[in-house]
Amino acid sequence: MGLILAGQLPLSAWAQITPSQADQIRSAIANRVEAETILGGDYGLGGGTYKSTGNSNHTTEISISKFGGSGDVGDPQPLGDLGIGWQPRLQGSMGYVDAKNDFNAGLLKNDRSESRTFAIQFGGGARFWLNENLSVAPTFMGMYGHTSNEYTARSAFMTANLPQARQLGLVDWNASTWTLRPALDLQYVCTWDRTIFTLSSDPTYYHTKSFGSSSPNVSINGNSRTWANKFDVDVPLGGQLYDHELRTGGYLSRTQLYGDIKSGLNTGYLNEVHGRLVLDFLSQLWKVQWIGIGGSYFWAGNFTGWSAGADVSFRF
Amino acid sequence: MRSGTLNRGAGSLLLSVLALGLAGCWTAPVANVQPKGEARLIQSGIRVESVKDGVTVKSISADQRFIVLNFSGATATFKPGPQVANFYQVRAGDKVQATVAQELAIYVLKNGQAPGAGGKPEAIKADAKVLMVDPSYRLLTLQYPNGQAETFKVGLDVKLLEMESGDSVVVRPLELIALQVERP
Repeated sequence: MGLILAGQLPLSAWAQITPSQADQIRSAIANRVEAETILGGDYGLGGGTYKSTGNSNHTTEISISKFGGSGDVGDPQPLGDLGIGWQPRLQGSMGYVDAKNDFNAGLLKNDRSESRTFAIQFGGGARFWLNENLSVAPTFMGMYGHTSNEYTARSAFMTANLPQARQLGLVDWNASTWTLRPALDLQYVCTWDRTIFTLSSDPTYYHTKSFGSSSPNVSINGNSRTWANKFDVDVPLGGQLYDHELRTGGYLSRTQLYGDIKSGLNTGYLNEVHGRLVLDFLSQLWKVQWIGIGGSYFWAGNFTGWSAGADVSFRF
Repeated sequence: MRSGTLNRGAGSLLLSVLALGLAGCWTAPVANVQPKGEARLIQSGIRVESVKDGVTVKSISADQRFIVLNFSGATATFKPGPQVANFYQVRAGDKVQATVAQELAIYVLKNGQAPGAGGKPEAIKADAKVLMVDPSYRLLTLQYPNGQAETFKVGLDVKLLEMESGDSVVVRPLELIALQVERP
């Protein structure tokens, strides 16, 4: 949130925060809460460590820890005589975001604004197979989020204005939100020899509203949209380790951002390249498809990020 | 880009889905079809292991060390491996969970026949049919005459790319690996 403060406060504003500035900051806070809730809680966006680029006035570091995923349940079943197969689909995720913003110059020099978001989402839908390769999955999810802000004032300006900023709900606030998330997943799967190629396209809509906050001045009511397009390759390597076949692969994805999430993150897109090296456990260990290691690199208009860790996939 | 662009994009996407969807229909996998190609043996000696629940012990011979089990609508005789410590505690009529090793031979049959040694047609009695093949994850799903389906993880040397739905399968029992009594 400090990033927002820095953007809205003029260098000459030594006296106090004006009502107009406060409104702008509140609007920016709402966008940022919405963006962080989606970034932290949504199963479709990857966790990792992100750093801002190209701005020497402040440094932003966002750390996202996330656990979740999606899966189609069972084998497709015929939908009457329509020539369409269908199977239930479940999706869920929970995540924690820690966003630190350190000011290196200007009115807020040496200040730190830190916001923490916890978000959890769950939902599902159905996947409809139009032929052996092409399917579409309309889904609906609900998400709960809670974001709190903690401001450490060391600059003369904020030391003087901290009580007023608190009263206006600009710093040291917290808010709980709910989000509705209708989406569509269009997927095309094909194989060449033993390699599986998956193309997917996911337009998603988010409506977020606050239902409790520490200050009447902190209120969130916004809409965001994303459109993720992904190309995934899953390659069996033909060699075994501990009686399990090694597989490699990864994906390249681009997520276009629209609405409040675009304003909140100050970027119109988020790209991700992901690689993995895993062991095939499908039909050998409960519903586990693979276990291994994976890593991602993210880049957007004004920040880059990465993540690395265990890569586990389930097939229900 | 504005939201209108997203809406237009999503609209185009849906039209593409419909167009592609009309290009073909989804069909549920069926084992009762005639596979392509000449009658032949595709591969034999495919060792698979599986855990079978709700198996009935038809009979057991402690002296000659064999057990007759009933599962998937058929009976099969197994010799217990040395690791089956509770073999002598099992009685006929027990319901057990059995881990067994079996050997599969996959055929394309024409009129129930495939060329044998010397190329002369031989009648083959199939125990199951191939329902689905997933070469990428090495999964071979069989369907037994009683309609029950079973999926096996097969070895890297198995020619799954040559197999398809409708291929005939001869199942030969190899060994009983483990036995757990569910209820007497």
